[in-house]
Amino acid sequence: MIVIVDYKMGNSGSILNMFKRIGVEAIISSNVSDIEGADKLILPGVGAFDNGIKNLKDSGLIPVLEKKVIKRKAPILGICLGMQLLTLRSEEGCLSGLGWVDAETVRFRFTENQASLRIPHMGWNTVNLMRYNVLFENLHNKDARFYFAHSYNVRCNNEKDVLSTTHYGHDFVSSIQKGNIFGVQFHPEKSHRFGMQLLKNFCMHARTL
Amino acid sequence: MFCSRCILDSRIPGITFDENGVCNYCKIHDEMCKEYPTGEKGQKILTKIAENIKRGGRKSKYDCVIGVSGGCDSSYLLYLARKLGLRPLAVHFDNTWNSTIAVENIHTMLKKLDIELYTYVIDNEEFNDLSRAFLSASVPEIDAPTDIALTTILYLAAEKHKIKYILNAHTFRTEGISPIGWWYFDGKYVQSIHRQLGKRPMKTFPNLWLRQWLKWLILNRIKRIRPLYYVDYRKEETKRFLTENFGWRWYGGHHMENKFTFFNHNYILPKKFDIDLRLVEFSALVRSGQMAKREALEKISKPMPIEENLVNEVKKRLHFTDEEFNSVLSLPKKTAKNYETYRPTFKRMRSFFWLMYKLDLVPKSFFIKYTR
Amino acid sequence: MLGVRVFPCLLLKNSGLVKTIKFQNPRYIGDPINTVKIYNEKEVDELVFLDIAATTENRKPPFNIISQIASECFMPFAYGGGIRSLEDIKTILSIGAEKVVINSYAVENPSFIKEASELFGSQSIIVSIDAKKHSNGSYYISTHGGNKSTKINSIAWATKMEEMGAGEILLNSIDRDGTMEGYDLELTKKVSEAVSIPVIACGGAGKYEDIGKVVEAGASAVTAGSLFVYQGKNRSVLINFPTRKEIEEILGRSIEEIYSTVKCVRRQKFQINDLVE
Repeated sequence: MIVIVDYKMGNSGSILNMFKRIGVEAIISSNVSDIEGADKLILPGVGAFDNGIKNLKDSGLIPVLEKKVIKRKAPILGICLGMQLLTLRSEEGCLSGLGWVDAETVRFRFTENQASLRIPHMGWNTVNLMRYNVLFENLHNKDARFYFAHSYNVRCNNEKDVLSTTHYGHDFVSSIQKGNIFGVQFHPEKSHRFGMQLLKNFCMHARTL
Repeated sequence: MFCSRCILDSRIPGITFDENGVCNYCKIHDEMCKEYPTGEKGQKILTKIAENIKRGGRKSKYDCVIGVSGGCDSSYLLYLARKLGLRPLAVHFDNTWNSTIAVENIHTMLKKLDIELYTYVIDNEEFNDLSRAFLSASVPEIDAPTDIALTTILYLAAEKHKIKYILNAHTFRTEGISPIGWWYFDGKYVQSIHRQLGKRPMKTFPNLWLRQWLKWLILNRIKRIRPLYYVDYRKEETKRFLTENFGWRWYGGHHMENKFTFFNHNYILPKKFDIDLRLVEFSALVRSGQMAKREALEKISKPMPIEENLVNEVKKRLHFTDEEFNSVLSLPKKTAKNYETYRPTFKRMRSFFWLMYKLDLVPKSFFIKYTR
Repeated sequence: MLGVRVFPCLLLKNSGLVKTIKFQNPRYIGDPINTVKIYNEKEVDELVFLDIAATTENRKPPFNIISQIASECFMPFAYGGGIRSLEDIKTILSIGAEKVVINSYAVENPSFIKEASELFGSQSIIVSIDAKKHSNGSYYISTHGGNKSTKINSIAWATKMEEMGAGEILLNSIDRDGTMEGYDLELTKKVSEAVSIPVIACGGAGKYEDIGKVVEAGASAVTAGSLFVYQGKNRSVLINFPTRKEIEEILGRSIEEIYSTVKCVRRQKFQINDLVE
């Protein structure tokens, strides 16, 4: 069973909707026992970093999530803000992130000739895979594209954690993977069949290590 | 008892068998093949028809009207019309249940053949209400609103643009002949079901009223022609031809380009009325030598494909709860005989309609089925 | 490389889709849900739904229809029409829309945009500007579906809304709406140069090539109504949308190359009084 963590930040409904369409059983829950019993987890998120961390703390779910993800190595996929929360901190806010991945979240910064690139980075873009990974199975072809909507991006301190980059003015990290922890900056639930393939891959292939 | 030639059997209404076990529908098919020859003879007739159409339309922007659905037959007819040098106006009745493929097919055919389009869209809630009424009426003619509306729209478009000819894409060689008694369509029938079971007023539905229709026949002299009757029409080859030359795409089954029609043909008709339309279509293909009898029997033994999503979509749009829908499905079956129709009037006007058939103003099938 | 977003802008009136000309004479187009399904299958980049009667009829957004639309969309979907409270936005985002579009209420209460973007994030808040050209050459905004004109300058208003935290501007040309005569390139250029947030051009597209022209004028995204619902000279209803390949061919260059030719004028801080001429 896939559990979409409900901490009142984000479009869990859309993610659930896509799971329904691809025929995968999933629930949205803020219940400790549901999360404990999950095979895999999704950490969604739309909004500001500090609100995200605060809501997560207030939900009381951080202990059970740490148990599942860090101790039991259950696969987890952070989406958009959900991915950013996995990092140590963000320039957007003052609070610390979960710190499960050695990375920071920073604002897009462009050089003078890139100045007219608008923020947020909003729209459809492609990804460049750094290495083969099950998350992107069948998505290696050129026409695979995903929907992005963000003003901040993740900067990994360990190159090995970078799964893919995307180009917007400069290359930035669009997905990460460290063991059982996955994160995508884009919204697979809003990326048509490309998103469906990615979520399917996560459900079918991401393993507990 | 089974026909020794096609795949119809004694459950089909109005079927009879001769001493060799060949059914009367096969006989009708053979008679129609004689009446509507293909090959060189057919080509000659088509050329003559095309000349008449061109002559009749020389003062108008368009010389004929073709109803389009995105389907194989009407798409091919567009091509044939252009090949014959005609200037058609494509007419589409949008019952708000178009599939994506249908819409794309219409778009690509019209763009590549440079043919103009006229669309009539019915109000979605009105169509939902009418469809709900027909389902609740427990009759098999659930597609009557769409078929009637399309006929009316074709006449309206022809009248507006002073066009004398409506080209119809029916092909008896691949579609077959609907058994007499399976269904019945007319405007009064739609009205009487709507009056009894409809909840919304009929504002945008283009019903075919007899008076209006007679005016189009007698005053406007708008003829209905079936050009594909004169062509050696082969379904599989036609599909390939359209795909290769126009980017047209197949949608999986006859009339399945429209989701509501798909629902009727694949769910309601077989489930409630025990009507499998593939019997008619495959029998035609067997008679025309386009499908082997064994293949037809094998295909018919498999149930018709239907997606649960589509059934749910229909229930939702028609505002049926699951219980309401199931109870409607289990209502005792009714027919046109349970409702008011124009049939008695048509019967009284038999001689008039014989003349209309001879003048190509009504199809022969109408004369045979509706005036007896 | 970020692609230019191209998507349909659909107008909702009661339970049906309609299309207007210069914001008048709504003409019936079809069933909203079936239309969404078709665009979804065509993999359009996004979808914008505007309820054109909600504000003038002083009613709430049609949450039921929004929910149904959201369940059929596997791409981002923005809803606008009758949004007047943070609660409205919360409901709409929770039932599945990614973004909300606010127009008239932003004029009544500009700080609403600030509150909304702080609570929900800028990327969820689109401010829609309905602009009409005055005889003196300036573009002024209208509200209430084009029924109420103001003396507020459109360009200044766009910068004010950016300052308040709007994530995007949906720029509608009332004069060009439904005419299929091409986008108002002058208006698009002026607004795009004045703000650093994405500007979505709307109003007037008549052929696929118009998409390329308005991007050159500075639009980050392009939306159209008539172009994607009508076919041919008779303006007959037939849902259509260019393929990815067609869009790429029309645009010809990458968005970054296009952006490098668009200047972003330094913004001035506007007071609300300055906006009114």
